[in-house]
Amino acid sequence: MLEAKNITKTFQSEGVETPALRDVNLSLGKGEFVGIVGRSGSGKTTFLNVLSTLLAPNSGQILYQGEDVTGFSAQRLNELRNRDFAVVFQFHYLLPYLTARENVLLPFMNGLGTVGREEIARAEQCLERVGLAGKGGKLPGHLSGGEQQRVAIARALVKKSTVLFADEPTGNLDKATGESVMDLLAGLKRDGLAIVMVTHDEDYARGADRVVRMADGVVVG
Amino acid sequence: MNILTIPLRTMRKKWVKTLLLLLVFTLSVVSIVSLNYVSRVVGESLEKKLTAYGANILVMPRSEKLTVSYGGFSMGDMLMGVTDLRESEVEEKIQSIGYRDRISVVAPKLVAMTRVGGAAVGVVGVRFEREKVLKGYWAVDGAFPVAENEILAGAKAAEKLGLWAGGTVDLGGRIALVSGVLQPTGSDDDSVLFVGMDFAQAAFGQADHVSFVEVSALCAGCPIDEIVAQIAEKLPDVEIQALQSIVKQRMYSVHFVEHLILTVSLVILFIACCMVGATMLSSVNERIKEIGLLRSLGFSRGGIFGIFCFEAVLIGMAAGVIGYFGGYALSLKVLALLDMAGEAELALHPVHLALTCLLIVGVSVLAAFFPSWKAASIEPSTALISL
Ligand SMILES: Nc1ncnc2c1ncn2[C@@H]1O[C@H](COP(=O)(O)OP(=O)(O)OP(=O)(O)O)[C@@H](O)[C@H]1O
Ligand SMILES: [Mg+2]
Repeated sequence: MLEAKNITKTFQSEGVETPALRDVNLSLGKGEFVGIVGRSGSGKTTFLNVLSTLLAPNSGQILYQGEDVTGFSAQRLNELRNRDFAVVFQFHYLLPYLTARENVLLPFMNGLGTVGREEIARAEQCLERVGLAGKGGKLPGHLSGGEQQRVAIARALVKKSTVLFADEPTGNLDKATGESVMDLLAGLKRDGLAIVMVTHDEDYARGADRVVRMADGVVVG
Repeated sequence: MNILTIPLRTMRKKWVKTLLLLLVFTLSVVSIVSLNYVSRVVGESLEKKLTAYGANILVMPRSEKLTVSYGGFSMGDMLMGVTDLRESEVEEKIQSIGYRDRISVVAPKLVAMTRVGGAAVGVVGVRFEREKVLKGYWAVDGAFPVAENEILAGAKAAEKLGLWAGGTVDLGGRIALVSGVLQPTGSDDDSVLFVGMDFAQAAFGQADHVSFVEVSALCAGCPIDEIVAQIAEKLPDVEIQALQSIVKQRMYSVHFVEHLILTVSLVILFIACCMVGATMLSSVNERIKEIGLLRSLGFSRGGIFGIFCFEAVLIGMAAGVIGYFGGYALSLKVLALLDMAGEAELALHPVHLALTCLLIVGVSVLAAFFPSWKAASIEPSTALISL
């Protein structure tokens, strides 16, 4: 369903070239949970960003349902990010002035159309799914770190996307809270969501169907 | 809830910043609006005051002047075909032109010569109440003539004829009372006697007959040539002259004030613009991660651009409305302080309000344009890892 072919990415900053990805390939089946592990600086985040269209590669293709998204127009990319792809980061990136519910509703707020009852009900349902029933009215600042990350996951679910990209979603949480977030992701996978998760904790990677190891910008196994 | 919820909430959350921006913008609108209103009133009143320095349009009978000399004998200048100038007609016609509200004073003159105790002297019939407006610089020893048979003597004429305020003089067989003597003006006024128009017409001419008419027009709203053209249209057989140098001098002062005000307004607007630009830029930098997140959720560049511009539009609108009414109130206050409140009535004008809002919204959006554009063009992944 999602396939990366011969991806290379070299960063250029102040005249220094940093090759972050060198001819990386990956394929993700429908509803598959792939874990990406590797040492710090091995290119995991860069790869995930390229996969989720947040970063354009220097060369290579990203095929989503047979189409190369690297050639998509800005509008089609926006639609893809809004509908099909969902992202969760190490930091929750919730807007502090919106309540948890409103943060979950953000993907519906990208236009002048007003968010309807149906969408609000959907947001409540997602909050319930991540175990935050009844906490939708709270501001992010009044939630714990684990709860904040769950709100971010609920936001990723609200549009019924097909692929979830998660970059160290447990990186900022303690072991127990991290475990519960991992359980949540495993549950979502069972619901049919395809997941690509970056982590450097091998323990967490065990919940994945398949683990991809990276080192120095290449996949090593 | 829609995309506009985001800027609305941000403004509420950062209300101190929003309020400060609003304050800066409102204050600039207040000063610009009041500066313009006050300058308009002051300019008009300045022009009215400058009218004291003479008429700027001359209405004369059309004539042909011929210098006749024959066989070495000069017969002097002969005026041929002098048309008659009727006071009532000229007055009526001038007051019927399109620009009649720009006419400040119409001052008819009847010039005649007479002898007083053997000495020749010029006598000028005038309407004193109008002459007083036109020649605000006149200073009189004694009193201004009030009764029909009272006259005003020029300084040199009074000396030559031995007249004093309170004395009497025989003018063409009629006894006139010298109510006052003009202090020297350095002009032709010094060597003549001013008498009331009715008296002059009775003693030296015919009723309703005048030699020429001086007109003072206010030129703030229209060019003098158009006023002249309009009078000429109404009075086709008469010669109308604009005294351009007087108009230029007068308008120079008025325009100077107007240009000064315009410059100050533009400077204020520019400063406000920079303020909004700087605030927006820093708010963009501070919210780069937020922008990255919204982009990763599929918000378009246009959407991000709109979020920031909407803030500017809202602040601009509010500043426009509050500032317009504030500026109006301030100009009333200032005019009252300058003792000019009565000189020109100011009115709240919906068109002015709309224009003010439009201008200020335009300026604030312009100021927010670069930061918003910058915000919209950041790559999502770059935005997410920045700072
Ligand atoms: N924007 C950038 N500009 C320049 N170099 C970059 C940029 N982003 C990443 N890099 C470089 O690319 C390489 C891969 O970085 P990346 O963030 O993908 O590593 P990572 O595997 O996610 O590491 P970590 O586990 O610490 O998050 C690193 O050497 C990093 O310095
Ligand atoms: Mg990383």
